[in-house]
Amino acid sequence: MPNLCSMIPTQKPKSTYLNQVGESYKTRLRGLSTYGILLAFIAICIVLALITPRFLTISNLTIVLTQVSINALLAFGVTFVIITGGIDLSIGSMVAVTGVVAAMFAHPDTYPVGVPLLMGLLTGLLFGAFNGLVITRSKVHPFIVTLGTMTMGRGLALILSKGRPISNLSDEFNFIGGGQVLGIPMPIIILIVFFIICSVLLQKTVLGRYMYAVGGNEQAARASGISLNKVKMVVYTLCGGLAGLAGIVLTSRITTGQPNAGAGFELDAIAAAIIGGTSTSGGTGTMTGTLIGALLIGVISNGLDLLNVTSYYQQVVMGIIIIGAVVLDSWNQNRNK
Amino acid sequence: MMKSVTLLSSLVFMAILHMGCNQGSSSEQGQNSEGKKLVVGATMLSMQNEFIVNVADEMEKKANESNVELIVVDAERSPLKQVEQVESFIAQKVDAIILNPCEVEASSPAVTKAMAAKIPIINVNSATSAKPTAFVGSDDVESGRIAMKYIAEKLGGKGNVVMMHGLMGQAAQIQREQGAQEILKQYPNMKLLAHQTAGWDRAKGMALMENWIQSYGNQINAVFAQNDEMGMGAVKALTDAGLKNKVIVVSIDAIPDALQAVKKGTLDATVFQNAQQQGSKAIETAIRIAKGESYEKETLIPFQLVTKENLAKFLN
Repeated sequence: MPNLCSMIPTQKPKSTYLNQVGESYKTRLRGLSTYGILLAFIAICIVLALITPRFLTISNLTIVLTQVSINALLAFGVTFVIITGGIDLSIGSMVAVTGVVAAMFAHPDTYPVGVPLLMGLLTGLLFGAFNGLVITRSKVHPFIVTLGTMTMGRGLALILSKGRPISNLSDEFNFIGGGQVLGIPMPIIILIVFFIICSVLLQKTVLGRYMYAVGGNEQAARASGISLNKVKMVVYTLCGGLAGLAGIVLTSRITTGQPNAGAGFELDAIAAAIIGGTSTSGGTGTMTGTLIGALLIGVISNGLDLLNVTSYYQQVVMGIIIIGAVVLDSWNQNRNK
Repeated sequence: MMKSVTLLSSLVFMAILHMGCNQGSSSEQGQNSEGKKLVVGATMLSMQNEFIVNVADEMEKKANESNVELIVVDAERSPLKQVEQVESFIAQKVDAIILNPCEVEASSPAVTKAMAAKIPIINVNSATSAKPTAFVGSDDVESGRIAMKYIAEKLGGKGNVVMMHGLMGQAAQIQREQGAQEILKQYPNMKLLAHQTAGWDRAKGMALMENWIQSYGNQINAVFAQNDEMGMGAVKALTDAGLKNKVIVVSIDAIPDALQAVKKGTLDATVFQNAQQQGSKAIETAIRIAKGESYEKETLIPFQLVTKENLAKFLN
């Protein structure tokens, strides 16, 4: 697991201006991180394919993708946040709250399936907006604020569910995480759709540019007329919405709303973003990188299960990869200076 | 912190109310020798765990019936916090303490401290290495034996089994595994194909089962999951892969979800651990000790195998 202290953004060079920030992120996109991690990912896949013939089969890859989808959705959300120089530790708790809320409305013959979906998403968005509100109003570091809301969220999930899992969900609802369309599991479809949406939002819109600008250099971004608070509100709300979606998919996949679901998910999601080249000091990162980061984590966990390696080693391997990714990132940053 | 403050203040309030009501009825059963209402403090492993919540609920119920003041606090899986909670019970001079230990070794100081303060302490559900005044619970080794024995009989003593562990190193994980291994030794033709932890978690159990299906496919004849959550995850993965009718799944705890699954026939069996009896026996023992009456030093509540045949008496 990553050392959380390293996620607190460090001081940024003061001499950069907005246009330079824009330039540098473009070059860094093509930089070492994304390609480096892609190469590492391919290398690991090849190694796994060589040791176990079970790895490179359509059915296994489908399963890896399905298993990765929840972490990837969370990682997309937290990538937005980290790019603006923030952090969100409450996403795991949001998964629990939104999952429980969705489950409460998902019993058969009560509401149409749209209601639990909407309620889960809305809960996530509200939770995220609350994070954003506290962070922008109080000026307290997001690490602290979301550490607080992480605990609050867990408590909220327990209150709503009275400490017990909520089961007996409708078939329509269970289709979201367990169904298939044209042989493709729904979580994979959701993953692809939201990967495209998030990528476009980040790379092709003004809002996306603002996110990079805010994370690259707050002062410069403010000087050029960007409303820091608005951008931050948007990213935390987005992150909450994606956590809500992940909560719905998870609840539907395991066909029960669990108040203790999602514990530690924030670390996997942040790890995926960091492995994928999102810099903890803000201003850099791509959704493609994050997706590869999430895939890498998923493939390693799947591969080690196939090889029947105990999960103790799994954790050690994951830790090494995270540190490796951050070291790579800091070398890259120094080179670019 | 806030929780315990509000809890305490509401308890004080309730105590005042009761003082008003109870005047004149000196033969009330939940009173100590000086005629004051008995106070029992209980610290629970985790109120996020359904089984533990059930034990605590039953304790509350029994305490209400017996007119005993029960203070329940949540240790949130932290042995350190648990020891501190017991220290505060000692400072409050409660009449008895019920300890639902977080950990075998790390929760032991709680027992030692209570014993030193001459306050009776009753361990419920699991053990500590320090010996308490009394123990109420079940022998987890037995549950592992029951589950694996059922699998062995179903398979006719021959076949491949996979086992899902709980969080490694916890008493329940160690003992349930021990019980299962004991039975496996008696059946040389049964092979433990793979074993791995899924951390008591349904989503993790499902992912692990999916991966096992990939690596072993049709070779798996049975799954033993050390709790129902993981067992339910395995059932879901097997059903999705169209293999459920070929693979036996047995787990432990008999949570409501698992009972429903047994009813539907997706889960073959679960092992019932009696939360109600553990909770009520713990309070009963605490009262007896506090009042200086004779008591059982060790109350073992047996596990029961739940299959479709005897399901009815476990569904309420």
